[in-house]
Amino acid sequence: MRRRKYSLIIPFLAPALILYGTFVLYPYLQAMYIAFTSWRGLRRAPRFVGLENFQKLLGDDHFWNALYHNGIYVVVLPIVTLGFALFLAFMITQKVRFSNFYRVTFFFPQVMSVVAIGILWSFVYHPSIGILNAFLKLIGISNPPVWLGDPNTALGAIAAVTIWQAAGFYMVIFMAGMQSIPTSFYEAAALDGATRGNIFFRITLPLLWETTRSALVFIVINAMNMFGITFTMTIGEAGPDLATDVLATLLYREAFTHSRFGYATAIAMAYFLIVMFLSFVLMRVTRRQTIEF
Amino acid sequence: MLKKPLSRRQFLKLAAAAGAGASLGRFAPGLAYAQTGIQVADGALNPFNIANVQAEGVFFSGGFGHEYIQYAADIFAQIHEGSTMSVEGIQRVGERLRPRIIAGDPPDVIDNSGAGNLDTAALVAEGELLDLAPLMSAPALDTPGKTFAETLFPGSQADGVFDGVQRYVNIAYTVFGIWHSKTLFEEKGWTYPTTWDEMLALSDNIKAAGIAPWTYQGKYPQYMQFGVLEPMVEKIGGPDVWKAVDNLEDGAWSHPAILTSLNNMKALYDNGYIMDGTEGLTHTESQAEWLQQKAAFLPCGTWLENEMRSITPEGFDMVIEAVPADDAAKLHSVIASAGEPFMVFANGKNPEAGMEFLRCLLSKESAKWFAQNVGSIMPVVGGAEGVELSSAMTSALSVVEQAGNDILSRPSYTTWYSDLNEEAKLSMGALLTGRATAEEFVERVQEVADDVKNDPDIPKYERS
Repeated sequence: MRRRKYSLIIPFLAPALILYGTFVLYPYLQAMYIAFTSWRGLRRAPRFVGLENFQKLLGDDHFWNALYHNGIYVVVLPIVTLGFALFLAFMITQKVRFSNFYRVTFFFPQVMSVVAIGILWSFVYHPSIGILNAFLKLIGISNPPVWLGDPNTALGAIAAVTIWQAAGFYMVIFMAGMQSIPTSFYEAAALDGATRGNIFFRITLPLLWETTRSALVFIVINAMNMFGITFTMTIGEAGPDLATDVLATLLYREAFTHSRFGYATAIAMAYFLIVMFLSFVLMRVTRRQTIEF
Repeated sequence: MLKKPLSRRQFLKLAAAAGAGASLGRFAPGLAYAQTGIQVADGALNPFNIANVQAEGVFFSGGFGHEYIQYAADIFAQIHEGSTMSVEGIQRVGERLRPRIIAGDPPDVIDNSGAGNLDTAALVAEGELLDLAPLMSAPALDTPGKTFAETLFPGSQADGVFDGVQRYVNIAYTVFGIWHSKTLFEEKGWTYPTTWDEMLALSDNIKAAGIAPWTYQGKYPQYMQFGVLEPMVEKIGGPDVWKAVDNLEDGAWSHPAILTSLNNMKALYDNGYIMDGTEGLTHTESQAEWLQQKAAFLPCGTWLENEMRSITPEGFDMVIEAVPADDAAKLHSVIASAGEPFMVFANGKNPEAGMEFLRCLLSKESAKWFAQNVGSIMPVVGGAEGVELSSAMTSALSVVEQAGNDILSRPSYTTWYSDLNEEAKLSMGALLTGRATAEEFVERVQEVADDVKNDPDIPKYERS
């Protein structure tokens, strides 16, 4: 009986497992090896150098610079994006008029390609014909910043675009979470004379905790990446004085501009471990007793 | 592969049918093979003994397209009956070809240009590229009595030489300099300055007239390097300054000529001569602003005309000039070099066919086709004979003519040492936005130069 079960399962699983093994697991393992080598990404075989790449990493200013920017994103993006998304979700579920229209509009950036968004927002930030600076001049700011050209504003400019893009997505997730909260809770609260704020903080938010947790992990992973938007908005050199460089753009440059595939893979490994660690810590720290309803 | 000649014939038919110029008139539609106008010089037919070779070429297809490459392949097929060179036009050459190079199965010949191309220094260091000495000394295809090398503009192939060995040839001739609108300058009565002091004085006038004197390709500050810094340093300090930098000599960047030039450039920022917002623009955005006469001067190479053709206002008449320096007598020397590096792989299947193809590509016949149909020039002597050129191209040729023997090259560190190149770009951006002084620029770049020098993993080159 058991034999028959396996003889059925194995043929069904085998193709998927082989594909997964060949195209996902094997490259991962190979990458782990490459991280310990010196390799120019050409025909000459990688040369094993042990921990040299990782040693170099610790003393590399560019690495710390990029990691610092990722760190800023990891702190800022979740707080602002999720806060904003929660606010939007809560407002829209309060039976406002045109709520469907808002839902679609806010979600819309999510279905656009990152490259298209990068280009569109580059126009918004354009110093002379951009809508943002035109507006700022209109309200009397005669010398608005050159958003993407100034190291003090470039990172923030990119963060703002990411928040704009991602908020709609998390809003929809939160709305789905809110809809699964029984209306009887709200009715009871309303009967007791609770304000909207009270309802939000005492009922909605605690019951959304599981949703918030997964949203948090998603957005932290996103904040650790940021490749597409950085690459399209501040070009290959990652902004003025590397002001927008993140680990993903750094490792891309190390590999494809400087032909240091071994070192780039070591950065990728470090990046992978950091993301794993962050996700793990987040899941542990945010663990709460699940409320059944 | 077999389809390529067909689509090419269709293209020619279309071009002829649309009356796309008398230039194409000699291709009568409906010919069995695309006939080129090649006239092979005596004894120059087959130096590499090509016979029945089906060679493979993969080429970057960017602003120039790849029709001109197909034309050279037609010449190749016409003079070597039974042999062909396939032509595939692609973008992001590095990503497309890297797997094949790793697998040891590269195409015979490639054009390694455009964004996402292969790192040339790495290719050379790994011995992937064929030594092109036989090609350089082979007879030229349609210039009687000359070798291939002798038909190319002097200095145009200098950057393809690594440790004395020619590793690639450049096929598009580019002059680097400062551009302005002839029309605008005539209208305002401005004349192009002969020294940098005059440049600053004129900039003051231009600013007073309500136009920003300067802009540059903001997010790509390297345009100010080849447009201004590199030629100016050589004009002030002679050829040894960049040579010392290229050879990673200690303290090479602190040469007074470099400091003076950097300070000259910083004066543009200090006096408010650079258009507001420039640093936030891409190359095409800043060039568009310049075309709208929001700024008077712009550094660029001769590809500018092609790149901006669709939005260039009628009668703008862009012209290029050499950068002025300390002495009016040195005005005319100019950086001119050829770009679009074509390479033959050492372990390709048909390296001889690769070289032979390059001989066809840099023939006079092919160069004329290029000048006529692409509107740019190949570094081939006599390659633009009888071809009508635009104001931009005419001014570029006259700049080169005035320069005479004073044709400068870009410093080699820009291709040899990508880390140094990157730091110089970043520092240039900082200098032009007032975030770095000339001294800080030198300090930053020298530090990276020293790191490169002390890094045993980076292959070193030298030039004399």
